[in-house]
Amino acid sequence: MPFTLFSLAITLYVAGALASLMLPERASSRAAGVIGTVAAVVGFAAALPVLLTGEPVVAAADGPFPFAHFVLRLDRLSAFMVLTITLVGAAVAIYGTAYVREEYAGRGAGAMGFLTNLFIASMLLVVVADNALWFIVFFEAMSLTSYFLVVFEQDDEAVRAGWLYFVIAHAGTLLVLIGFLLLYGRTGSFDFASFRGAAVPAPLASIIFLLAFFGFGAKAGMVPLHIWLPRAHPAAPSHVSALLSGVMIKIGIFGIVRVGVDLLGATTVWWGVLVLVFGSASAVLGVIYALAENDIKRLLAYSSVENVGIVLIGMGIGMIGIAANRPVLPVLGFVAGFYHLLNDAVFKSLLFLGAGSVVSRVRSKDMGHMGGLLHVMPWTALAFLIGALGICAVPPFNGFVSEWFTYQSLFRAALHGTSLLRLLAPLSMAMLGIASALAVMAFVKVIGVTFSGAARTAAAASATEVSWPMLSGMGFLAACCITLGVGAPVVAPLMRDVAASLTGHGVAVAAGLDIFPGDASVGLLSTPLMALLLMGLAAVPLVIVGLYARRRPRPYVGAEVWACGYAPDAGMRVSAGGFAEPIKVLFRPLYGVRNWAEDCFTALMPWFAGLPASAGRTELLWDRWLLAPLGDSVEAVSVRMQVLQGGDFRVYCLYIIAALIALLIVAIG
Amino acid sequence: MASYYVIILAIGQGAALLLLAPLASGFSRVLRAKIHTRTGPPLLQDYRDIFKLLKRQEIVPKGAGLIFRAMPFILMATLLLIAMSMPVLTLASPLSAVGNMFTFVCLLALVRFFFSLSGVDSGSTFAGLGASRETTMCTLMEPVILLALFVAALLAGSTDLGRISVSFASPSQGLIAAELAVTAAIAFAAFVEMGKVPFDMAEAEQELQEGPLTEYSGPGLALLKWSVRLKQLVMASFLIGVFLPYGAAASPSAATLLWAAVVFLIKLVVVFVVVAVIENSVARNRFFMTSHSTWIGFGVAALALVFYLVGL
Repeated sequence: MPFTLFSLAITLYVAGALASLMLPERASSRAAGVIGTVAAVVGFAAALPVLLTGEPVVAAADGPFPFAHFVLRLDRLSAFMVLTITLVGAAVAIYGTAYVREEYAGRGAGAMGFLTNLFIASMLLVVVADNALWFIVFFEAMSLTSYFLVVFEQDDEAVRAGWLYFVIAHAGTLLVLIGFLLLYGRTGSFDFASFRGAAVPAPLASIIFLLAFFGFGAKAGMVPLHIWLPRAHPAAPSHVSALLSGVMIKIGIFGIVRVGVDLLGATTVWWGVLVLVFGSASAVLGVIYALAENDIKRLLAYSSVENVGIVLIGMGIGMIGIAANRPVLPVLGFVAGFYHLLNDAVFKSLLFLGAGSVVSRVRSKDMGHMGGLLHVMPWTALAFLIGALGICAVPPFNGFVSEWFTYQSLFRAALHGTSLLRLLAPLSMAMLGIASALAVMAFVKVIGVTFSGAARTAAAASATEVSWPMLSGMGFLAACCITLGVGAPVVAPLMRDVAASLTGHGVAVAAGLDIFPGDASVGLLSTPLMALLLMGLAAVPLVIVGLYARRRPRPYVGAEVWACGYAPDAGMRVSAGGFAEPIKVLFRPLYGVRNWAEDCFTALMPWFAGLPASAGRTELLWDRWLLAPLGDSVEAVSVRMQVLQGGDFRVYCLYIIAALIALLIVAIG
Repeated sequence: MASYYVIILAIGQGAALLLLAPLASGFSRVLRAKIHTRTGPPLLQDYRDIFKLLKRQEIVPKGAGLIFRAMPFILMATLLLIAMSMPVLTLASPLSAVGNMFTFVCLLALVRFFFSLSGVDSGSTFAGLGASRETTMCTLMEPVILLALFVAALLAGSTDLGRISVSFASPSQGLIAAELAVTAAIAFAAFVEMGKVPFDMAEAEQELQEGPLTEYSGPGLALLKWSVRLKQLVMASFLIGVFLPYGAAASPSAATLLWAAVVFLIKLVVVFVVVAVIENSVARNRFFMTSHSTWIGFGVAALALVFYLVGL
């Protein structure tokens, strides 16, 4: 049953893609969006029962070759990923129905719908593929479709960003492929099922893990392989950026977990330590770079690097827990990791959709050209604010719950872990603390400069609210942000189930309205209670203000701000760059890391830049030695044949008579 | 402990801290005047200020939006939730579902998010700069608070504030050096969070016209002043309730609670006297020099971790 629905979802996505390509431009974006939404709902319905019951379902078919055994497997891990992809996919599809029509009408809207739907379909197939070869095929399909979406704008920036993305994505795929080939060498099969049972010697397993970690890590955008991310994601159309940052980079994390934990069994402690260290570094560096950006989409892209880091911290703790054979630790780490993965998918795509709405109105990605949008785009602003509250780990929104679990897993690691962990976990926690404080600063800056105050340009002053499909796409994700936060007592056990499918045993994480890290005496949290209390306590200041309400004159709205007696002007207001200046000064050395990494890649790029040229030359050889002789001989024969076509109709009549006679002879003979 | 008893305790604690907050700040002002050898305002001046402001007209700047209007309410509600959830008179937290160290830190982030955002939202230069400084200070202080609390939680074996308080109430458990270092780091963090003189970066009266408060007036300013004072009292009570809990009620009854209240008030007076002495005997630094002193705080917290790891 789940697979019937799943294949229906994939079929719908392909149908949506084709419909978008075939239909006239006016109808295509709507068709792509509507079919995409339905497909997402069907995909969601396919995965939900698997997540709830935990029964893995497998569908297998023979491939074109004996080794290309086509196996799909929906277990809890892939069902969780399918749910995440379809959740974001639905919101993006709804948003896209209006966004693509408004922004890309006459500029290939049909092709965009085609690529977007295929992109989502290939992501869905990657997470359920249970054969290494098909995994790589779908992974590659995902990279290619997203590459075409990144370069969609066809301007200089997009093409260059796309090329960088193309190179790094394929370098990553290559590493993963080598890892799979090594496993194939041990088992003689490409099926994940045979990989799971294989007894891989420790050194080989470590090599395979390292290949997978860096290969998938490049896809996930962890530091220092993140270089492509802040260029490619902003270059893409905004609803595609939502998919790239919200979902696609999570497939990189999924890959690390699939190979490191599911296939190789996370047997070695230092694997987890490696994940933890890279995660912590990504968390801090990602958000520090985000803070320095004035381009709203680049800022969000860097913030994705941060959140990937936070997810990796949880996953790293989980892997260490498995390898060190601790009872509660692995479940806790994976709960934190998966919860944050889902949360980041939701709020990051929400923020990108919000940024897309803003950019479509202001026609600039520079926050310095925005301002005051709260007054003209109130609903977009509200949705963006909710997403920002989620990403800043503000209670009782969703990011808070997953960061709380991440903190709790680090605490457990420090309390019951190995001696190395007792030192690493507190440091990692302090780094996570810096990262969350910086995230608050970054998003105060984004909202403050983009939505608050007075408009900074004429375009921002005359902006209008976006159309309702775009608002409902954002509204849906905003509702998810609140639900995943306040509904933590319901969501946490589901994450525990996903984690338990990897670790083999689960622990209690919720009871009644409370959530806790395995043991209620270690820490307790009730987000529903917090939400209720916060709303209830707001009555206190309301009552205080109401005290003299009748004797007080009505508020006067519209005064000038105080500027020490001077007439205030727009130039006096705090700018995006000025707001972040203290951090740029205080953390200057850390910006050096980025510059160093960028320099390395810039030095490498010319080497790749020769690639298209040499590919071009190779293409010519092909032409010269194979196609050109063929073409020449065809032409020569045609010239000879021209004699037949003399132009005299009497000769043509003779041909007809000759042909008739010849046919009669054949018929009689 | 019957559950209604806990609810009464939580509400009573929140209400008491809210009502005491202007008194505590009035006491600070009296001490400040004494140190300056001038007469200064009366002890109850801050109540009068707040009630006077409540009667005044509110003036809202031109570009300001909803966030500017809503912030004073959000601020007070959040601080009240913190006040209700931390252990003050009892060793256990009255609201253990909220009284967790990580929740505490994230609730402070909620306060900070809206406090700084309203500064930018007001459209004022001073408020915007104050917001930038406020968030920068938090970046510097968050690792100190988190690491110190983390070591405290490791000592107690739980991240629950009530259990940390219990473990700090019985110093016989050993690891004295770690406990002392943690308390020192938290005391430092509490001092910084109180926004007292060398660290009054966001509201710097002389240079930034009170930062994010610049554009507030009337009832909004009244709520905001009250909330800022409540935050000061909450930070001081947090230090006393969790890390210096001697005398707090282990099993709440009328007698133990009354005794705990008396001891708490005495400790509060001591803390405010110490704070007043420090804030009036130091000079303000340049803003970019602040990180030098906050790194010392982080050093103390890291020292606590080292002491914990080696078992001192």
